[in-house]
Amino acid sequence: MARLPLSGIRVTDFTWIGAGSYTTKILADYGADVVKIESANRLDALRMSAPYKDKVKGVNRSGYFADRNTSKRSVTLNMKDGRAVELVKKLVAQSDIVANNFTPDVMSRFGLGYEDVCRIRPDIIYLAMSMQGSSGPESRYLGYGASMAALTGLQHLIGLPGREPIGTGTNYPDHIPNPCHAAFAVLAALRHRRRTGEGQYLDIAQTEPTVALLGPTFLDLTVNGREQQAVGNDHPWAAPHGAYPCRGEDRWIAICVMNDAQWAGLVGVLGNPGWAGAGTWLPADRRHAQRHKLNEELARETAKWSAEELMRALQAKGVPAGLVQNAEDIVSRDPQLAHRAHWITLEHPEMGKTIYNASPFRSLRMPAGAGKPAPLLGQHTEEVCEQLLGMTKEQVAELKKEGVLA
Amino acid sequence: MSNPVTPSALQGIRILELAGPYTRYAGKLFADMGADVVLIEPPAGCPSRREGPYVAGLPGLERSLSFAYYNTSKRGITLNLDCDAGRAIFLELASNVDLVLEGEKAGTMAQRGLGYGRLQELRSSLVLTSITPFGQTGPYSRFECEDLVGMAMGGFMYLSGYPDTEPVCAYGGQAYLAAGMYAAVASMLALTSAELSGEGDHVDVSMQECVVMAMETAVQYFDLEKTVRKRFGANQRFAGSGVFECKDGYVYMMAAGIGANKFWSYSLQWLVNEKVPGVERLQGDRWQQIEFVQSDEAKRIFAEIFAPWAKQKTKAELYHEGQKNHVPLAPVNTPRDIFLSKQLEHRGYFVDVEHPETDLPLRMPGAPYRLSRTPWRVQSRAPRLGEHNAAVYRETGRDGKELQQLYSAGAI
Repeated sequence: MARLPLSGIRVTDFTWIGAGSYTTKILADYGADVVKIESANRLDALRMSAPYKDKVKGVNRSGYFADRNTSKRSVTLNMKDGRAVELVKKLVAQSDIVANNFTPDVMSRFGLGYEDVCRIRPDIIYLAMSMQGSSGPESRYLGYGASMAALTGLQHLIGLPGREPIGTGTNYPDHIPNPCHAAFAVLAALRHRRRTGEGQYLDIAQTEPTVALLGPTFLDLTVNGREQQAVGNDHPWAAPHGAYPCRGEDRWIAICVMNDAQWAGLVGVLGNPGWAGAGTWLPADRRHAQRHKLNEELARETAKWSAEELMRALQAKGVPAGLVQNAEDIVSRDPQLAHRAHWITLEHPEMGKTIYNASPFRSLRMPAGAGKPAPLLGQHTEEVCEQLLGMTKEQVAELKKEGVLA
Repeated sequence: MSNPVTPSALQGIRILELAGPYTRYAGKLFADMGADVVLIEPPAGCPSRREGPYVAGLPGLERSLSFAYYNTSKRGITLNLDCDAGRAIFLELASNVDLVLEGEKAGTMAQRGLGYGRLQELRSSLVLTSITPFGQTGPYSRFECEDLVGMAMGGFMYLSGYPDTEPVCAYGGQAYLAAGMYAAVASMLALTSAELSGEGDHVDVSMQECVVMAMETAVQYFDLEKTVRKRFGANQRFAGSGVFECKDGYVYMMAAGIGANKFWSYSLQWLVNEKVPGVERLQGDRWQQIEFVQSDEAKRIFAEIFAPWAKQKTKAELYHEGQKNHVPLAPVNTPRDIFLSKQLEHRGYFVDVEHPETDLPLRMPGAPYRLSRTPWRVQSRAPRLGEHNAAVYRETGRDGKELQQLYSAGAI
């Protein structure tokens, strides 16, 4: 494999929990030396979040933490001790990027605000990812990915009409919108620095990328005065379009009929049932106008099928259809993900062999994803102190004893 | 709109984007950061122009608000890649760019003679990013797909929905967007290498795999504990975490945050200060135990105490009062709430972009990130169909007569 795109780039990484850690994971998987600053006194909360290997709790056993922290080094430092802060400053002097996702002010209290860091390293790229940005009346407010989904409208817009808004059932903004936007911004800033030698301050409010994903929805409001609502699985003009039950427990198939040819394909696969008879559901706007009735008829039909067989039969006729896959399908049964080698097995010092996501892209010159498993808490403290901070083994031992490296 | 004083981070990067749902958001991310993105549409216009909402609800090639949003800062040309003359022009254009973004069906570009092998011969540093539902090869690579199918096959949709209904898809084309976001990151990584080493790359993005990245802990629950995570709808995920109805809508409460932290004690203190009836039932060590807070009993008790009290308060009251007490509570905002947000107003988040079919500019979401030296900005409104044909084709040295011939032949 050729040189990784970010080899030679070092990150002093204060991010924790969701989006921040996911962002620096991308940088680490593609060659950056990401040194995660942790503390046993103030754990990254994900280290104590289920699921754990064999359901046994422990700071080095969480799968939630592991998948977001591949390829990083972990150093423990008690930032309440001035000596730890001095060590971090030495690391910052050798870093290209300093990253955090604290509320604004926390870094300044460490003496590591943007201006402070610029004095140590004038061309630093400083990534700040608070929930709502570095200024404004709500800039000090707290939250998680699910809070951001609520703040950004995504929660409100997901659900069935007339029922509670349910969102995605996850902390979605943490997993794709924020890490992708932040990584893209960092890569752009690195390019600017290569060309000009200038670093800069990156202020990412973790609500703003997700709102940016809803552009057309906001334009409908600002231009047309129309407020979009949750519509379940309905499409604005196509039907049937939804998830339909299949044989077995909680098995479903997603079917999208986008035109009359696909409708004919669907009816043919189902064996031309009486309710679907000649012309009843033509043209397309008729299907859409009566989609609730159509969905009921179709659901009765799909319930007779195995989801896998129906998907294959429909795809053979060019009808967009796919299983609503659960985690077991995704990990153990999906032949496409297996073909793509999406699951990477890595040997972790405490968890043993567990699976990690590969990146969702392949390329001729870049690796498919993580090269190294998540670090143990403080796994690289000695290594970093000796290699980068110029300390002797004795000095490291001394500071450990005094709780500075904890 | 462009300010010549501040530089753009991606200025000088030249990109061809084949218009479509897979490429459009990636192209926008590049274009709004200063790359020169030329959007290639078929002569009849790309499908995004036929996607609502429309200005005043009336369809038309120049009236799609989706198109207007996803294509800011791009130049637009028409080019028919299914005729020889069109393909020849594409190769000429491609020999001069850094990145080609395409979302055609797997194998289509190669069949047209426009695959990576051919493009690499023309320009070895070129990056080709291909975005497809399932990837360029493999048993599902020729499957038909839509956003909903991508969400289903990517395992994300199974996690959303009510326990008593079918799984419910996320709103707003998130599978396409996930593919677009990851395509932008992957392209930027490959461009970084290309700029450093002179070597290009072919990046193969799978929308299904992008969606899998959103499964949170579901994969790890299966791998480590052999349990399959299910959808919980409007139920609490843990006691104190979930949607609660209030006077004018809903709020999302995360009383105990995630993992190890101090938020449960803050939440409890807030409810004590507010003298919420029955709050004493939330006290005691068992509320620190994950096994207990996952139990139906704990969720029921929390709801019995919090829900009736929350119902008398507005979203705004609960949000600001909760946050004052360091409780991670958020309003379930509607689009209008967001548009009226004081925080976003302070940030100057929404931006105005002109549009040929409206008297007033379009007000749309703006910078998803703030870069102090190289700010995000809309360089120009989305292009009209073929708006930049003359400019772009003249750059290839063609004169008016040649363009007329190509136009008559249906190539542009």
